[in-house]
Amino acid sequence: MACFCQIIPDEVLKRFSRDPKLTAAQRKHFANAARLGTEIRKLRKQAGKVTAVTASMGLVAGVVPAAPAITLSDCQHNQTLPGVPVADPANSADDTTKRAFVETSAVADFYKSVFGRNSIDGAGITMASSVHYGTNFNNAFWNGSRMTYGDGDNNIFIDFTNSTDVIAHELTHGVTQYSLQLSYTSEAGGLNEHMSDAFGSMFRQWRAKQDVTQADWLIGKEIIGPGAAERGFTCLRDLASPGAAHCLTPQPVRFADFQTGMDPHISSGIPNLAFFTAAKAIGGNSWEALGQIWYKALTGSDPSPNMSMQTFANLTRQLAAQMTPPNASVANAIDAGWTAVGL
Amino acid sequence: MPKLSIERLGGIAGFGVSPNIKSEGEVESSDLSPEDQAKVEKLFEGGSVPPVKNTNDVFNYRITRQKDGRSQTIQVPESLVPAALVSSVKDTLR
Repeated sequence: MACFCQIIPDEVLKRFSRDPKLTAAQRKHFANAARLGTEIRKLRKQAGKVTAVTASMGLVAGVVPAAPAITLSDCQHNQTLPGVPVADPANSADDTTKRAFVETSAVADFYKSVFGRNSIDGAGITMASSVHYGTNFNNAFWNGSRMTYGDGDNNIFIDFTNSTDVIAHELTHGVTQYSLQLSYTSEAGGLNEHMSDAFGSMFRQWRAKQDVTQADWLIGKEIIGPGAAERGFTCLRDLASPGAAHCLTPQPVRFADFQTGMDPHISSGIPNLAFFTAAKAIGGNSWEALGQIWYKALTGSDPSPNMSMQTFANLTRQLAAQMTPPNASVANAIDAGWTAVGL
Repeated sequence: MPKLSIERLGGIAGFGVSPNIKSEGEVESSDLSPEDQAKVEKLFEGGSVPPVKNTNDVFNYRITRQKDGRSQTIQVPESLVPAALVSSVKDTLR
């Protein structure tokens, strides 16, 4: 009888399905497992939708999607994913592994408790991460199905799991993938990066119990290495001051400065500043009124891979008018935030 | 065999697009294994490849060589670049 385990990532199943060292029957087994995994994820998503509908009716769903599994794998300084699975990451003797597990679990809790979202896909998908990727690897990334973190070169950067906002930044790329599906080019790319910075920052503030005044609004503060720090750099990016000299990646602050072909990590400065400006005007906790509107804008409409920044700005204005009456202060703050950057 | 100039671009920090950090390297084609030389030739024949869909904050590589009196440049995802080229690149503060 054919059997499969969803704990094996799709990329591993597909690799085995193409491995010439296996028999044709074995390759077909792995290909079938990958196909079945895809269909089961669709089922899970549909189950999540049923739950949401029944919950909105005040009914109790027959099946409540479980909280997501959080898995960690150790690449052991190779660049092959997923790496070696870690049996008990919550109690790992390796600080990086344990931290990635704890903070990924916290991001899952953040999305669930603040936005009612069950994992990256809204339907309880496993949240998989790999650590110790490569040697002196100065990056963290989302590959479509897992987060991956390098250890840094101890000059420009240190361990990329050190910043809670970086962990939430990467996971939010997954949320975007399963919702608005913003592409990674042009204005949509800047919006994609902005979503990750905005929700990354909100998670950082929620985790630290900081309101908008207490927050530092920095992305990557805790991954800056001694060499970069010596040169006066304190972060990757700063939502409060995107063009500041202390940013490793200074960004434009006006839409008029957007250029075709601009890297998404550069153009995201425009919506980042709009978000910060609105947040400071509203006050309190960023994940409350403002975060709810941003979450609705990200997840409440059909996929829009080529969405423009103006369209997104108008969407948040529209949602603010719908979600926060009769108090117009939130809507006014959001309008002012976008106006400040020329949108 | 031409020299290859390699730039690593992107990532969460914006290597190569930030004015403050860059990632560059050089490799003599003749120093590569025959397998890697063939892989590089095939990359240039195929031309630039866009990033894989749904990947974010990944690195891309811009590889340039001089051939037949002309400069050729391609940009491809890291997953397509031979390890010998990847390891030649050094990250530095400008």
